[in-house]
Amino acid sequence: MDCERPAEDHGTRQNGGAGEGGEAAGAESEGDRERSREPRVNISLVGGTPLLWRAGDIRRVREEDGVVGALVGSLARQPRQNVRLGRPLEILQEEASLLLERGRAAVQHTHNQEDEESHVKAVEAYQSRLEHSYEEQCVLALEDKKAVLQRVMNAKQNDHTCDEGTEQAMRERLSSLQKGFTLPRSAMAVQLCTARAGFGHCPEEAAFLAADWPMPRDERSETRFRVYRDLRGRGFYLTAAGKFGGDYLVYPGDPLRFHAHFIALCLSMVEQLPLCDVLAVARLGSNVKKTVLLCSPRDSGVEGEVVYSSLQWSGMV
Amino acid sequence: MATKQAHAEAARAERSEELLSPSELFHARSRSHKIPVRGQKEFLPTGSEQQKTHLQKSLQEHWTLVAEERVERLGNLVNAEWIPEEKLVKLQSPAGKFWQTMGFSHCGKQCLLPEEALYLMECGNVQVFYQDLPLSIQEGYERFLSPETVTLHQYQVFGHLKRLGYVVNRFDPRQNKQLKRKRSHSPGSRSCEKQTSIPQEDTAVGPCEDVLTGEPHQTIQSKKEQDEPMDSGSHVDRAPERNWWTAASSQSRSMTGLPAALPWDFRLISFPDLGSSRAARTCLAAPDPELLPGALQVGECKMASWLTKLNLKEEKLSRRERERQRERDRYKRSVNDDREVRRCTNWAEYLELMKKRRRQRCKERPAHLWEKDVTPLSQPGLCTSHRELLEEVSIIQSSHLLEEASKLPQLDQWRIIFNVYQPDTVADFKKSHPGNPYTRMCVCSFDGPVPDLRVMKQLSFQSADIPVTFAVVDHGDISFYCFKEFKLPSDFY
Repeated sequence: MDCERPAEDHGTRQNGGAGEGGEAAGAESEGDRERSREPRVNISLVGGTPLLWRAGDIRRVREEDGVVGALVGSLARQPRQNVRLGRPLEILQEEASLLLERGRAAVQHTHNQEDEESHVKAVEAYQSRLEHSYEEQCVLALEDKKAVLQRVMNAKQNDHTCDEGTEQAMRERLSSLQKGFTLPRSAMAVQLCTARAGFGHCPEEAAFLAADWPMPRDERSETRFRVYRDLRGRGFYLTAAGKFGGDYLVYPGDPLRFHAHFIALCLSMVEQLPLCDVLAVARLGSNVKKTVLLCSPRDSGVEGEVVYSSLQWSGMV
Repeated sequence: MATKQAHAEAARAERSEELLSPSELFHARSRSHKIPVRGQKEFLPTGSEQQKTHLQKSLQEHWTLVAEERVERLGNLVNAEWIPEEKLVKLQSPAGKFWQTMGFSHCGKQCLLPEEALYLMECGNVQVFYQDLPLSIQEGYERFLSPETVTLHQYQVFGHLKRLGYVVNRFDPRQNKQLKRKRSHSPGSRSCEKQTSIPQEDTAVGPCEDVLTGEPHQTIQSKKEQDEPMDSGSHVDRAPERNWWTAASSQSRSMTGLPAALPWDFRLISFPDLGSSRAARTCLAAPDPELLPGALQVGECKMASWLTKLNLKEEKLSRRERERQRERDRYKRSVNDDREVRRCTNWAEYLELMKKRRRQRCKERPAHLWEKDVTPLSQPGLCTSHRELLEEVSIIQSSHLLEEASKLPQLDQWRIIFNVYQPDTVADFKKSHPGNPYTRMCVCSFDGPVPDLRVMKQLSFQSADIPVTFAVVDHGDISFYCFKEFKLPSDFY
């Protein structure tokens, strides 16, 4: 398959030094030690589904690992619409497995136990932060109002429409503002954090246990994972394709700008596919103008290659 | 140890990354509220500069939107507290506009279900506290969503529908059973409800002989009828009580509370004789007061007075009408002239007679068809309508979706989770009287099994008259499917 490696791959190359396939090995190398010092991406598990919450994490995995995922929450700017959604980012099981395998991510544990003392300190920190924010905002609001008044005064002066009287009145207003203005508490702006905030319910030291992936891998998910890893290694971007009757939608470039070229179906080498299923999926593929790929990992070894067959609808003319 | 510290520092740095400074908070009020429109996609990546800049621009817009944090005026936020023991969120300040369609009152306090609270958190209307600290959206997802409350997939469907404007609340399977009992009006089911009262009335009323079967009848007759003065002639034949419907249905009392199928026992339906010389003495029994509206009371009907009012005037036919009459008399026989028909005393016997006659008509049956092991299912002339013929030759009986659905055991994997009401009813929506929902939701995923007939029967039964929609969640994309019952037409005109 002719495809170009996007620039994003250089990121991992620099760190790893080894090829894409060799990163899975847990050998202690220069690259590994360097990587372990990098802050890892947090994966949060809700009911077995891996989610990413931090905007920085979402950006990193897209730029460095080609993990696209799907945004499933309400968008902060306009929460009451479905056209564009916001955080969290839901990623595929295979994407989470790959990130964990490469040491790029860790599953975040939600520790509920917290001693009294640190909790009290956290509450105090939150309260003081809120107070500080309120005071700052009061100052800013006052500055803002003074600036507005000043602009009005300047405008009037430039127009030469005002006389001594109105100028005096304006200066009086300015001084009364200085003395008597208070920002009502209800007008204070407050942040509703999306990701887990700094002062929170999790202890100082979050547990990063890379090997603690709760999902047991059966044969089907193993097949899917191998196909995912291979296609990702070749530089394609992959997203879920349940709506198209397949396992993955394969994009030649970032899905934000490019259409998908393939619908990938993962089958094991020995699996028998009924002919009517082949016909159905081929028909679907031709309807949506995408090529259907049947992908099967060869059993030889853990790092075996994957065999691809494409379906093309043709006729006898 | 050094790496551990570095970890902690990095983690702390990361954590405070997403907290906005007071000046950022203050200036958030002047943020744009518009969402940039996504342009057309391209087919092939060519590596050209133009493509690269387009991609960078799209990505930059994307990151700006994704990274934006929610900032709200403190006065606009409703404060609430998460109670994990009850899996509820209790409001601490008065509810806003959302109270019209969401939430409920519990022990004097305004409460929200976890999915409602989480949705309102995402909209920036509610700030939920737990142990005096505000919960982030992430913590909301992790704490509120569970198999005991609402799973992540179910919450995604909930949020999707709410964002479109629908009113969505939780489905309670217990509510429906009550509705069923109130709805049924047919006499059969009413007698089921009156089961306890029947034995009392029986003792008050003496048994009445049934002329046909000679068995004592169970009557649900009021005492008033007995007190009616009898005719002077004690030879008045009392027509047997017309309560073949109640007797039959009270025998087939079903425990499910559903209106039982009414098997009419044709042996008990008799024809009152109003035409013969004995007619003057017949007396039609009073109808069952259950069948009459309100407090209407109709007594027995003595035929004697009515018969005197029949056939008083001689009919004068025109010449043409007389001719037509002659034609009719020549070729048509009155049904009652037939002695065999006169011998029939009820519908069942009459139908039997007709059937017998039809069979006799088709006595000649070809040997090669009828003498073998496999014989035809029907004969020409035996059936009078297409529907009858199709019924004769049908091997598989058609059924309907709710047949025997009540006998199926409860399901564990499939359950109806939400009621969905249309968006245009929002203005008049009342939580106390929501009315009938537009549809009910059951959430599943492409990884799971397709609902089979058993599942559909059970869910349709649970849902009563409202159609059930299946919401299939696949990695953030939601597709809706529903199944509609369809009956093949069996009669042709």
